[in-house]
Amino acid sequence: MNTGTNSGTNTGASTDVTIDYGHDLLFGTFVTPTNHPVHQAVEQAVVADRAGLDLVTFQDHPYVARFHDTSTLLAYAAARTERIHLSANVTNLPLRPPAVLARAIATLDLLSGGRIELGIGAGAFWDGVAGMGGPRRGPGESIEALEEAIAIIRGVWNTGESGALSVRGQHYDVRGAKRGPAPAHPVGIWVGAYKPRILRLVGRAADGWLPSIQYLQKGLPELAEMNSHIDESAHAAGREPRDIRRFLNIGGQFAAQGRGFLQGPPSQWAEELAEVALTYGTSGFILASDDTALTQTFAAEVAPAVRELVADARGTGRHE
Amino acid sequence: MVIRALQDTTRDQVSSAGTHHRLADAEPGPALERDVPLWLQGSDTAVAALAGRLADGWMVDLEEVGLEGLATLNEVLDHAATDAGRDAREVRRSVTLARGDAADISALVALVVDHGVSSLVLRVGTDDVTTLRTFLDDVAPAIREGAERALPQGALSSRPVRRADARARRRPGIAYNEVPEELAGTAVEPGDAAFGKVRSTYLRGGDPGLVLRPRTVAEVASAVGFAREHMHLPLGIRSGGHGISGRSTNDGGLVIDVGGLDDITVLDEAARLVRIGAGARWRDVARALQPHGWALSSGDYGGVGVGGLATAGGIGFLSRKHGLTIDHLRAVDMVLADGTVVRASATENTELFWAARGAGANFGVAVAFEFVVDEVDEVGWAQLAFQAPDPAAYLEAFGRVVADTPRETTPFLILGQGVAQLMAMVDSSDPGVIVSQLQPFAEIAPLVQQQVVIAPYAAVMNMFPETAHNGRGEPVSRSAFTREITPGFASASADLIRSGASHWYQIRTVGGAVADIAPDATAYTHRDANFALAVMGSNAQRLDRWFEPVRRHASGLYLSFESDRHPDRIADAFPPATLDRLRRLKAKLDPHNLFQDNFNILPAHDHTRSAT
Repeated sequence: MNTGTNSGTNTGASTDVTIDYGHDLLFGTFVTPTNHPVHQAVEQAVVADRAGLDLVTFQDHPYVARFHDTSTLLAYAAARTERIHLSANVTNLPLRPPAVLARAIATLDLLSGGRIELGIGAGAFWDGVAGMGGPRRGPGESIEALEEAIAIIRGVWNTGESGALSVRGQHYDVRGAKRGPAPAHPVGIWVGAYKPRILRLVGRAADGWLPSIQYLQKGLPELAEMNSHIDESAHAAGREPRDIRRFLNIGGQFAAQGRGFLQGPPSQWAEELAEVALTYGTSGFILASDDTALTQTFAAEVAPAVRELVADARGTGRHE
Repeated sequence: MVIRALQDTTRDQVSSAGTHHRLADAEPGPALERDVPLWLQGSDTAVAALAGRLADGWMVDLEEVGLEGLATLNEVLDHAATDAGRDAREVRRSVTLARGDAADISALVALVVDHGVSSLVLRVGTDDVTTLRTFLDDVAPAIREGAERALPQGALSSRPVRRADARARRRPGIAYNEVPEELAGTAVEPGDAAFGKVRSTYLRGGDPGLVLRPRTVAEVASAVGFAREHMHLPLGIRSGGHGISGRSTNDGGLVIDVGGLDDITVLDEAARLVRIGAGARWRDVARALQPHGWALSSGDYGGVGVGGLATAGGIGFLSRKHGLTIDHLRAVDMVLADGTVVRASATENTELFWAARGAGANFGVAVAFEFVVDEVDEVGWAQLAFQAPDPAAYLEAFGRVVADTPRETTPFLILGQGVAQLMAMVDSSDPGVIVSQLQPFAEIAPLVQQQVVIAPYAAVMNMFPETAHNGRGEPVSRSAFTREITPGFASASADLIRSGASHWYQIRTVGGAVADIAPDATAYTHRDANFALAVMGSNAQRLDRWFEPVRRHASGLYLSFESDRHPDRIADAFPPATLDRLRRLKAKLDPHNLFQDNFNILPAHDHTRSAT
């Protein structure tokens, strides 16, 4: 899914400073991994696949008994779908040992024909994590652990490197692990992050950034601030800002009359999302949806319209 | 310990304090459909002892330990099991064989007979299909045969061996070890993983001692036979487990769950004759009939099971146009108290055919129904919400509008404090007809919300997602019929609604095609009623205080919506002549009163079963 980039230029429609990393646009859904009815989450993945979306994602809360285990759900949903990419949104690292996680993701990527991505987070809901026997980590510790984990995961996947893998960290101590298997395609490591320190980690080490709109305390403009942490850190690490794809988890409802952001007709959604894409460089929109009609309308009426608006603004429009 | 703790969904939180693995107030679940056996593998005494204490199975590599080692470790395991208060049979022994071992059948039989091995795993290369074929086709049957010959009869039973902690949850008075062999594999006991999913009904919390889950008619007969040996216990018959009265579960008794008999088959396309298993859900029936352009009126919710509704009546969204569900019945297969399977129709067992339509639960376990279903195109489906500050005035106006409404339209009304919700189905796909028949309802009071769509009947039955049946406590529900909504009925109803004693007040319209059938044609007799009332509350005494005045303006009751177990309710449900006729048939078909837990009709002779 780390698809090629356009030669993007910053041609935002507004007069504010805008960023466009020039990625093609991806559209996906964010499905509740409920285990009742037992096949509901899988069916919603099938709906998203058939609707032509790029991505279907599931939360990962291994301490919640009414949810499926997300890693197992991903495997089952991958087997039931044909074209769509799948990811956790986001993997709960403290309850999933990174070396094993790397193998699980690689296995599933191989079995699914290169359709798995790795959304991952430092951890949250620490009472739940500790209740399940996992470590309780402070904010600094959890970021440190995530950075170690990313090194381990990339190391396991890196079969080009000879010799065993050793990563001696504060939280994970991998000594002489065998490498491989390599995934079928370059699996994106997408990190859910909000605070400066972890955003800098995203800039140094991740392939994507996966925030949720409802956790932006100052609303959408906060994306600009967060982007700059990622961009600066990327530069400092000798990377390009556009090496990191910017996603956004969104929520909304279709309505005949516009009532607010993503509360209106599909044409209104398209304009709003195109503006987000052109202003903040967001190139992946993931809609929370357990509703077949919502998913289908998003895929059929919003996604193509956003693509067209963005292409027009970028001057790369293809009118066919 | 962590795995077992997380499987214990009878608790809200689980903890486990170990040296290596810990849980602290973790949420157990999800509930398992069946007990997943936990097998440990290892060739040292510590693992064998651990398996003896905790596991359901133990696996060992024969090459690694040899026969002598196997015997020693088996002994260690047995001792550990016994010391832990378990039955050594709780732990299945499994050995892994090398390819060459598969040739010596007498040695393999000896593993089973002398070492208690009940699982043989052959280590075989993925390309070695020949060895695998021989093992499956020749060796395995030869081992079975040899072991059966050498061991006492019944020693190789497929009956599950439950862990001691599961056996500890058994209830008194049930011969658990005598559950017929064919039912033992699917039966659910209180200590089983699946118990949480079968114990309760939609609204009633249950704690039965044993749930039998037959998959065939013969197995239902066998379950009824087992129930006959347990006349001292309550007996619930469950199809979908949605019944408001909650009689399909109990405390400490038996439940026969026919949910597995859920086939839906078209018998005669031209005659629209369909055979439906008692365990099917109405949502599935609607889905199966839709491609033919057919529908069968059921109730107002697709999760309801066929058996319970189709033996009581079936007051649904197409009732005024097409009649009750039972009015479509042409034949029913039932397992009677003595275990015989009979077919009742207009020409065979006619008295039972009459009784099964309205009082079926007293005469046997219905296993399959044959219905003539209706041609139903897409239907109009309306959900209207009103301001209704004066419930009495709203009810009277509703009654007047219904009286003038053609039978295509069947409205159900839910009346609350200040609000009224109307759900109505119009059996027409013509927007003009739908709107003209609904318009008078829209004018009863100020509309606050409305949605009218044209949809298949199956879409309405599948409107709500399947939900688990996790009822707790006792449902309190009352039922009555009335021909018309009189001022007295309306004002008593308004008092009831304002009292707060009820959280659910629903009126279903009947009449129309329901009234075309003679009252004595079926055991369901309320043919002259135009309205069926169902009221639910949380406290029976409080609800009755406000419901009694309503009942005085009404008559009769619908079994499916009544939870009061007072014997007077039987007289409300059945007029004297009907009741006499039912009691005579009961004396003939169920003289010992096996089926007495769902609105008992006493046999005409005084053969009541002991009340211990």
